[in-house]
Amino acid sequence: MEKKVDYSLRVEMTKMEKLTDIKREKGKVGFVDKSVWITLLILLVLPFLISKPLATEILIYGLFALAFNQLLGHTGVLSFGHAAYFGVGAYAGGMALRYFHVSVWTSLVVAMVVTALVAACIGVLAIKKKGVYFAMISLAFAQMFYFMALSPFRKWTGGEDGLKFIPILKLEFPFHVDLTSALPLYYFTYFVVGLAIIALWRILDSPFGRVLKAIRENEVRTQASGFNVTRAKFLSLVISGSFSGLAGALFTVYLGYGSLMTLFWMTSGSILMMTLLGGMHTFIGPVVGVGVFMYLQNTISVYTDRWQLFVGALFVALVLFFPDGLVGTIKMKYRERKSRA
Amino acid sequence: MFDLSWEIVAMQMIFGLALGCVYVLMAGGLSIIFGLLDVVNFAHGTFYMLGAYAIFVAVSLCGNFWLGLVSAVVIVALVGGVIEWLLLKPLYKRDPLYPLLLTFGVSICIPDIIKICFGLIGKVVPYPSGLMGAYMWGPVMIPKYRLFIIVLTLVVLISLWLFLNKSNLGMIIRASTRDSLMTQVLGINVSRIWTIGFMIGIGLAALAGAVAAPMVASIPDMGVEMTIECFVVVVIGGLGSLGGAIIGGLLIGQVISFVALFAPSWSNVAIFMVMAIILIIRPRGLFGEEGRL
Repeated sequence: MEKKVDYSLRVEMTKMEKLTDIKREKGKVGFVDKSVWITLLILLVLPFLISKPLATEILIYGLFALAFNQLLGHTGVLSFGHAAYFGVGAYAGGMALRYFHVSVWTSLVVAMVVTALVAACIGVLAIKKKGVYFAMISLAFAQMFYFMALSPFRKWTGGEDGLKFIPILKLEFPFHVDLTSALPLYYFTYFVVGLAIIALWRILDSPFGRVLKAIRENEVRTQASGFNVTRAKFLSLVISGSFSGLAGALFTVYLGYGSLMTLFWMTSGSILMMTLLGGMHTFIGPVVGVGVFMYLQNTISVYTDRWQLFVGALFVALVLFFPDGLVGTIKMKYRERKSRA
Repeated sequence: MFDLSWEIVAMQMIFGLALGCVYVLMAGGLSIIFGLLDVVNFAHGTFYMLGAYAIFVAVSLCGNFWLGLVSAVVIVALVGGVIEWLLLKPLYKRDPLYPLLLTFGVSICIPDIIKICFGLIGKVVPYPSGLMGAYMWGPVMIPKYRLFIIVLTLVVLISLWLFLNKSNLGMIIRASTRDSLMTQVLGINVSRIWTIGFMIGIGLAALAGAVAAPMVASIPDMGVEMTIECFVVVVIGGLGSLGGAIIGGLLIGQVISFVALFAPSWSNVAIFMVMAIILIIRPRGLFGEEGRL
């Protein structure tokens, strides 16, 4: 391909200075953005608006999408195989519960640690690769984990039936919570996901997060400014992977068994579609995307089994006409109106 | 463990070679498209599936395998051309990730259309009458159809090489792969060249699907797994290099064939492990250009 001619050098320079000048930007924003509080508030009442299992799934996939988007939208790295982290987290948490009889809290921690290690391994092999190449390699590795769980390790993973016979789930600490009924399960998930969302926001708002955004805008220039780009991308992958693993472990707690579908390539694809639907250049967009996507999928699949056709067509239209997604487009329109007024 | 005679090894090698040839055709198409358009075609396996269904329809309509083979390739290549012209053209000015996302969307839609038209049950194409049975070469059995695949792939590769290196259009395609802006300056309609290149790549995928159709039952969802295996092949061989696609495809064919013999449950995992090893010892792939990726 021809080299990109940089007409907008001056504009970009000021943009880059803003992004990499950490001191000036620091201290301007509060603990967490307003949009995060609003989302958390909506999620608080969600189980009374739609069915509780659907609401729980939206929470879990919402966290997964946010973790995924830290890599895609904020670092500019497309991982096409995020099912690997979600699924490994689901299995790691499930196996800790099933074979070692640990508490639910411990299983979440185990899942985060194991997925961070997996992400580190894939990162060492592939993070230096450019755009599409990294996407292909991560997809291939995700497929490897899928096949591993399917046949060579079926003795431990349960193969296509999934990881069954997980003991009945409940919390003993700090107080007794029965995780088999829907509403306590929702608020347990809400608590964990809420903390994780705030943590992800704080990471992106930190000096490190600003380096990530600088990489997204212009990798070469960030490197020239003296930042270790490879290390930052690697760390971003590990953090993203480990939060995806947390989402996976929550998914196992929610289902009561470890599902092989968590490792399937379609999981990577769905999370990508949801993130793009919500808007990858916003923080909270992916959660909105997850909500809309899952609600639509739930509604369409009542009428037809062929919901993938509609979802795929919607996605093609999205890529062609609204690459900024729902939240991104609304934000842009709002800003335009504001500047006109 | 079990006694391993050289006949079994030889047979397994031929099976692996035939399988590898299917991967070579697939990865060759993927590489041509990437080299020319800078697009990673996620829907490549979907066109493989379409090729298999097209030959199924053509064979059940006219009854002739060879006519079916040709029409399957032509029809699917035309479908690919329409998709490129309609959906991919608007995206070339944007980030190279967007074409990948778009072809992903296409690869989700099309299997559902096939499911609506043909149902979920696998479709089998009968072997052409002249290619049933096997030759015996000493004690080694060589199935005729596999031999045909190997020969066909060889013929296709040689004619592709001749086309790219000796014909005018091939020269323009190579020039546009190297530097599309310069080619455009010289007065070539690069946009049309890209459509042609995309159709050639898709045609190769359809050919792979069509020749594989008698060996496997075609199901609508077989595409994406093929895409992923194809990605593995080009990562091993080096993306954008035709030689890499050939070596990578043949290597993967042998790996699958022999791991299936020794440790059947690992046969699906093995190719990804080979990819991981290649990434450790030679990160740009066997034939990849330094610095491009």
